[in-house]
Amino acid sequence: MRSRLRLFSLFAALGLVVAACGGGATEGTEAPADAPADAGAADGADGEVTTIGFWVAFSDEARLGFTKERAAEFNAKYPEYNIEVTSFASYNDVFDAAVLAVDSGEPPGIIHFFEAATRQALDAVGADGQPIFKSVTEAIGGRTEILGEPVILDDVVDAAKNYYTVNGSFYSMPWNTSSAIMFSNTDMLEAAGVMEIPETWAEVEAACEKVMAMPGAPAACITWPNHSWFVEQSLGQQGELLANNDNGRSGRATEVYLTSEGMIDYVSWWKDMADKGYYTYTGVQRDWDGTANAFLAQEVAMLIYSSSDTTFLTNSGKEAGFDVKASFMPYNGEREYVGNLIGGATLWLLNGMDKKAEDGALAFMNFFSNPENAAEWHRITGYIPITKSAEALLEQEGWYDESPNSRVASEQLAAAKNTPASLGALLGNFVAIRDIITIAIEDILVNDLDVAERMAQANEEANKSLAEYEALFGG
Amino acid sequence: MAGLQVGVQKKGIVRGRQWPFHLALSASVLVIAFPLLYATLIATQTNAEIFSFKFTPGSALASNFDDVWVKREFSRAMWNSLQQSLWVTVGKTVLSLLAGLAFVYFKFRAKWLVFFFVLVTLMMPTEVMILAMFRLVSGFGWQDTMASITLPFIASATGAFLFRQHFANMPVELLEASQIDGATPFTFLTRVLIPLSWNIIGALFVIQFVYTWNMFLWPSLIIRDDSAQVVQVAMQTLLNFGGALTFGPLMLAAIIASIPPALVFVLMQKPFMSGFVTAQDK
Amino acid sequence: MLIAALVTAALFGVVFLTREPRYRTPRRLGIGTTVSVAAAAAVPGTMGPCGFADESTPVDHVLFFALMLTSSWIALIVTRAIFDRSDGASPDTSAMTGEIRSGGFRTKPWVPWLLLSPTLVILIVFLYTPAVQTFTLGTKLARLGAPNSIDVCLSNFSELLIVDPVRLVAYPLVAVAAVYATSWWRRATSKETWSHRLAEVASTLSVLGIFVALWAIFSPGGDGQVAYRPVYVTTLIITIGTVATGMIGGLAIAYLAFRNIRGGGVYRTLLIWPYAISPTVAGILFFMIFDPTAGIFQYLAEVWFGVDVPNYRESAILAQAAIILASGWKILGYNILFYLAGLQTVPTSQVEAAVIDGASAWQRFTKIVLPSLSPITFFLLVTNLTYAFFEIYATIDFMTKGAPAGKTSVAIYEIIRVGVNNGDLGRGAAQSVLLFVAVIGVTLWQFRTSGERVTYGGAT
Repeated sequence: MRSRLRLFSLFAALGLVVAACGGGATEGTEAPADAPADAGAADGADGEVTTIGFWVAFSDEARLGFTKERAAEFNAKYPEYNIEVTSFASYNDVFDAAVLAVDSGEPPGIIHFFEAATRQALDAVGADGQPIFKSVTEAIGGRTEILGEPVILDDVVDAAKNYYTVNGSFYSMPWNTSSAIMFSNTDMLEAAGVMEIPETWAEVEAACEKVMAMPGAPAACITWPNHSWFVEQSLGQQGELLANNDNGRSGRATEVYLTSEGMIDYVSWWKDMADKGYYTYTGVQRDWDGTANAFLAQEVAMLIYSSSDTTFLTNSGKEAGFDVKASFMPYNGEREYVGNLIGGATLWLLNGMDKKAEDGALAFMNFFSNPENAAEWHRITGYIPITKSAEALLEQEGWYDESPNSRVASEQLAAAKNTPASLGALLGNFVAIRDIITIAIEDILVNDLDVAERMAQANEEANKSLAEYEALFGG
Repeated sequence: MAGLQVGVQKKGIVRGRQWPFHLALSASVLVIAFPLLYATLIATQTNAEIFSFKFTPGSALASNFDDVWVKREFSRAMWNSLQQSLWVTVGKTVLSLLAGLAFVYFKFRAKWLVFFFVLVTLMMPTEVMILAMFRLVSGFGWQDTMASITLPFIASATGAFLFRQHFANMPVELLEASQIDGATPFTFLTRVLIPLSWNIIGALFVIQFVYTWNMFLWPSLIIRDDSAQVVQVAMQTLLNFGGALTFGPLMLAAIIASIPPALVFVLMQKPFMSGFVTAQDK
Repeated sequence: MLIAALVTAALFGVVFLTREPRYRTPRRLGIGTTVSVAAAAAVPGTMGPCGFADESTPVDHVLFFALMLTSSWIALIVTRAIFDRSDGASPDTSAMTGEIRSGGFRTKPWVPWLLLSPTLVILIVFLYTPAVQTFTLGTKLARLGAPNSIDVCLSNFSELLIVDPVRLVAYPLVAVAAVYATSWWRRATSKETWSHRLAEVASTLSVLGIFVALWAIFSPGGDGQVAYRPVYVTTLIITIGTVATGMIGGLAIAYLAFRNIRGGGVYRTLLIWPYAISPTVAGILFFMIFDPTAGIFQYLAEVWFGVDVPNYRESAILAQAAIILASGWKILGYNILFYLAGLQTVPTSQVEAAVIDGASAWQRFTKIVLPSLSPITFFLLVTNLTYAFFEIYATIDFMTKGAPAGKTSVAIYEIIRVGVNNGDLGRGAAQSVLLFVAVIGVTLWQFRTSGERVTYGGAT
């Protein structure tokens, strides 16, 4: 009997809760779906607040916090606009959500896409057959300021400008841009007698030999995430194309090359480093967190990573009591160095917004990366200062003297020759193809397979995937 | 909480000395509890403390809590999950009661067909059709809504059959007596059947609450917007605070996320067990 | 080829019905054959005879043929059920639906439909519709976000299989024949004879033969095929490992806890709480324990035993063991709970009689306790299987994400990887259909073995 009473009172309580949250539920759940719709539907009447959705693939304090603060500043400065930031856990999540939102007709005004989705974003069409995104160059239409915000497009550093320029038009607005660089625990290297930070593959190997031979050697010498981005970086360094038609830049890419000499050399070097116990694989694909942890826990002496975390890694090293020095990503000394490429993401403008909403979105994009904001963004993360003025501002402030590591990524990108190889590929199904590359490398590392054979298999799969993409989107 | 829980007959199966059993049971309890105890320890530590393997409570419980609950707004995910679980649980109970009522106390054409129609869904778990369902529900424009994580789950063959079986075992006189009193199907349900079904409802409540609360795959697909996310998926974003893996906040979140289902389970264990026995009686 | 398939369907219909005398009337055979042919023809009728087209592979032919016959088979089962109903030979459906014998509400005929309508609407919209769409999606090249899709017939399915059509047909046929033959042998021999015991062993082995045959027909990769065999093996290992760990551990602990000792209730509560823990949390907890940098497992192994345990995510065996441990741990509470309830039904008098007869503790356990627990064991087997098929997704996603090299990527994980992460909806859906067939198999086996039984805590 007592149990029944208790049960009943629990139910009564639950009933109350349900009743109480009934109203809240509908409000709370419909808001995110409705808000982005306003972006397209706003009527632009004077005095009315136009809401523009901004979907961001960050959820950590530093990055999302920065974004929200800038949006709040913009909203305060332009009361007729409301930039509404929605956060997602990953690039893939934003991409999938945006694709779905376009299908059901409620996409946000500004979407944060990563570089690998560029081709897919360009190809994306809605149910009405119209492109989903609009070129920012076209939308700006030669204006030098929008709602009083200076247009920064011409000021963008070359590496980013070249990557995102497709058919002569700057399509999306660069934001977070990085490159792959190496971080070294110089205390550990010096203890092993390595005084110069290694620059080539051979030098890295030699340094690792010393590191692993010293008393109290760490578990391994070097690590980096098994992410196709590093493979692409290496191809760029070696001047090797990933896809035909100049990496998909002089025409649509219809074939990928996963068995090129540069590819085989790089993967073979990688496997060799692993076989010798110099490279440690965390066992997880795209394991940014795990590799960074291994470096910070001093289980490895060197880490090849994205420059996006330069500030974090440098400071965390300091806190853990060792010196971190950043340098260029090690390259193949037997071939001429051509150039590293960028990584990161840009802001895409939704097609078909009314004039007021579109101008608001454009003004925000330019405000978002104005010199002060771009410099601040660089300082808190390590993404390169996206404009030349931001770079100059940082120089003038003496930031680089204070933190020399922060300069490395920009310098590395500036050192690249502007060739299709070092620009990186524009490719359909790039995310899936990256996955194929990552899986193949994991297979090679874990199961000790023949590099050329396994890459040939990956090549076949990747080309099939690309052909299917072209069949669906190419025509 | 001693004394309640799973009832056991007074006669044990084996007599003899007790201490070996105490030892073995304590060991089992420890082994089972170990992951959670360890997580509790980690939840109080900073990454540096974790890396140095200190086995004393750390200094970061408050800041970890602040990270999880305030900064990442885990409270919001908890609220979303609570709403979802209650909607599904209540919806499922109501729909199952109605279906049970229709099956047992009505005669209608093609009943056996309807019955099979419901029965067959027992072999259709959502997971095997998740891609098509994803397409379907996102086609409704329902992504990031509460409807997408509740409505598809509020009908249940298990629940309908549970009530059908329970009602079928009730004496026929109940219905006859109520009909003499002029009861409508609705008043019969609310005045007679439901008061006699609390144990089943309680059992269903526990099962469905825990099931819904622990749902991961579907919300991870259909809910992308962080502010509409449920607890199980929201934990994934707690892996990383400011650059590298952070264990403390993640462990704390895992513990917090386990409290509501554990509470429901412990509080309702008695009706759950007796409801279970009723269901197995057949 | 199409005509050959239809003729086979006709023959199939005749063979299917002539097995029982009561269907052996000319009229019924006529109806049966027509239905069978029509159902088979419905397959090329809806999707075109694409499986027999010139550009399709021999494996496509086989699959298309199998699909037509499956369609016939389902239609024949329904036809037979209708015959049975008209004969009055079917089981009393009112007993099955639990309808009360007398009385019942005499209201407007739409009232029961009104009561059932919410359930039926939800089931149609969210279970039947996506179920059908899963099949159709499996026949397409469709991508997330692509406005159009391309029909690819059965190539998404045939890609998962070996390319040799002869072996593809032969292996399953041999395996099924072995199952039938051994079960016939078992029935034909009398109990307690050597021949019967041998037959029992053989029939158990022949069931394993089905798993081997499946292993043999899934493609190992290469030749442009998808390497599905490794996924199958991984799924098998992790499923069996999880179910075995959870159930054996659960039974052992429940048997231990089922004692009338001081504080028994406290012990029991402390043993069953993991029921409320989610697979995600289980993944997180073990992710922490086994973390190669910060986890306690590696640390203690080194400090106590001086063993340098490698990173579990780099070794297939360790990764699978870790997943099995985590998911087995999570389901342990559930199994203990149900075994404790089940142990209450063990007849105490028999146990006491056995004690008097001087049976050892182990004998009492195997001869009395285990057999009387078999209904609950069976029930747990099915729920544990469901858990290991699906719920395990979250645990894997946290601990290994399928690493190393797909060695912990079970079927459901693979479906999401292909269908969502790679956006390849068609191939993901084709893999879903395989899992669907597996679930139908388990459910039918459950229905067959136990009759209709209330499942508890299942997904639907």
